[in-house]
Amino acid sequence: MQVVSLRSDAHAESEPLSGRKPASAMIEIDHVSQRFQTSGKQSHLALSDINLTIEDGAFVSILGPSGCGKSTLLYIVGGFVQPTDGVAKVKGKAITGPGPDRGPVFQEFALFPWKNVLGNVMYGMRQQGMKKSEADARGRKLLEMVGLKGYENFYPKELSGGMKQRVAIARTLAYDPAVLLMDEPFGALDAHTRTRLQNDLLDIWDTQRKTVLFVTHSVEEAVYLSDKVIVMSRSPGSIKEIVDIDLPRPRKRADLLLDARFQKYIVDIEKMIDDGKDHL
Amino acid sequence: MTVRGVLKTLSPLFACIGLLCVWQIASLRLDTESFPTALESIKAIPSILGDKGSLLNILDSIRRMTIGLVLAVMFAIPLGLLMGRIKAVAAFFNPLMMIIYPVPKAALMPIIMLWMGVGDVSKILVIFLGVSLPIIYHAFQGSKAVEEKMLWSGAAMGMSAPMRMLRIVLPAALPEILTGCRTGLVLALITMITSEMIARQSGAGNILFNSLDMAQYDTVFAMILIIGAMGIIFDAAFEKLRLSLVRWSQPRDDMPLSFT
Ligand SMILES: Nc1ncnc2c1ncn2[C@@H]1O[C@H](COP(=O)(O)OP(=O)(O)OP(=O)(O)O)[C@@H](O)[C@H]1O
Ligand SMILES: [Mg+2]
Repeated sequence: MQVVSLRSDAHAESEPLSGRKPASAMIEIDHVSQRFQTSGKQSHLALSDINLTIEDGAFVSILGPSGCGKSTLLYIVGGFVQPTDGVAKVKGKAITGPGPDRGPVFQEFALFPWKNVLGNVMYGMRQQGMKKSEADARGRKLLEMVGLKGYENFYPKELSGGMKQRVAIARTLAYDPAVLLMDEPFGALDAHTRTRLQNDLLDIWDTQRKTVLFVTHSVEEAVYLSDKVIVMSRSPGSIKEIVDIDLPRPRKRADLLLDARFQKYIVDIEKMIDDGKDHL
Repeated sequence: MTVRGVLKTLSPLFACIGLLCVWQIASLRLDTESFPTALESIKAIPSILGDKGSLLNILDSIRRMTIGLVLAVMFAIPLGLLMGRIKAVAAFFNPLMMIIYPVPKAALMPIIMLWMGVGDVSKILVIFLGVSLPIIYHAFQGSKAVEEKMLWSGAAMGMSAPMRMLRIVLPAALPEILTGCRTGLVLALITMITSEMIARQSGAGNILFNSLDMAQYDTVFAMILIIGAMGIIFDAAFEKLRLSLVRWSQPRDDMPLSFT
């Protein structure tokens, strides 16, 4: 397994966004529908004919009302759920199951409770055959990065929700997936930690050139982080609109909050989501 | 340690002493030959443990119990875990278990003796049967309850299905499995004694019933005390082991329900 070095060493190769390689498709979602069998003979169309291309290295957020199929879409890309119709592809190959090229960060953390914090972060690396000493060192570095230095020997039950989420992020970053699938990763965090982790994530994304698919309920967060914001609507879950966020990078929160374009994006997208609600 | 702490740790001891006192008084009052006093019974213990034949008998019992228990654990844990994760396995074994579950395993002893004699094999088999079911049940429950996202996380790390079974389902279900094993341990002791009552050839249960036949009541009660002590010691030792294995899952201020 090739491990991309963390921030400090990788900075040299980071260029401004305009200098990125011509983008190729990392994820292609082609006429994907997902129908769930509900109790009795009924079924529920959770996703209806989704078409979407996500370029290599893009940061894409998904917004939409609760139950519109955001998590389901993420699970399909992760290979955890097989779509009832259509194909999802990663790097041009149809997705048939999970793989270390796509790292999930779940809404529910899903940490291994019998492993301490460091053990959780090392787990994926060890699974990929990395030497223990190497995994240990990289694990500690990652934990420092997510602000959990000193908590290496804590067990998940001894952590707050926000800390668990940070462990989950570090655990996924550890095995260096090309695609990050993040399901409301900052939803449970306080505003301060949230801002910090948003910036850390942008740093990681910028230096490691990952493709990020990011589900959130916060319009501001989506606009702040993303190249593209996908707005979904419910019943059946479908893509309502795709908004390109044309704001310069690197982005500074303090500057953006005063930036009229940033504010306009937020207002516009909020309107789109509200429009959807009228039809319910 | 605080006074309360001391009282808490010593409370099982007080309970034992209290029971023995009640026994002593009751026996003195009733004054029948078949109900020796607590003191008389305790006095008979050294002579049993000092007797080489009796000691070997008791060790024999423990040996059979251990073999039965270990075999049951080795069989029941994998089966229960598979049942919890694979619907077809559960569908096949569930009806079978529903039939076997309510049958007292000791009631099978006569048939088993008929087929396999009165030796070790029959007794170990009965212990195995008695112990397996609760462990299967708990392993099944524990495995079924494993959070799916945890398995997904493992799959994304490149773990194969058998690997996830071994490295995620097993540890995640361990607290529940060990709860089953604790029940299994006590059941092993019970079935061990019962099997020796029925196939009277050797063992602790055999000593007990032989002395009953010979009206050596102090030996009978001494044996009951020895067997009871064995149960308490095994259980306490296992509980120590269990806590050290699943400390990660214990609620912070858990009240331990045992002599630890
Ligand atoms: N395994 C399943 N079986 C049946 N229905 C399901 C299943 N998973 C999801 N659904 C349904 O599919 C729809 C989409 O669910 P999903 O979890 O993807 O929504 P979401 O957009 O992530 O919502 P939230 O913002 O609340 O997390 C919901 O109506 C849900 O009830
Ligand atoms: Mg969701």
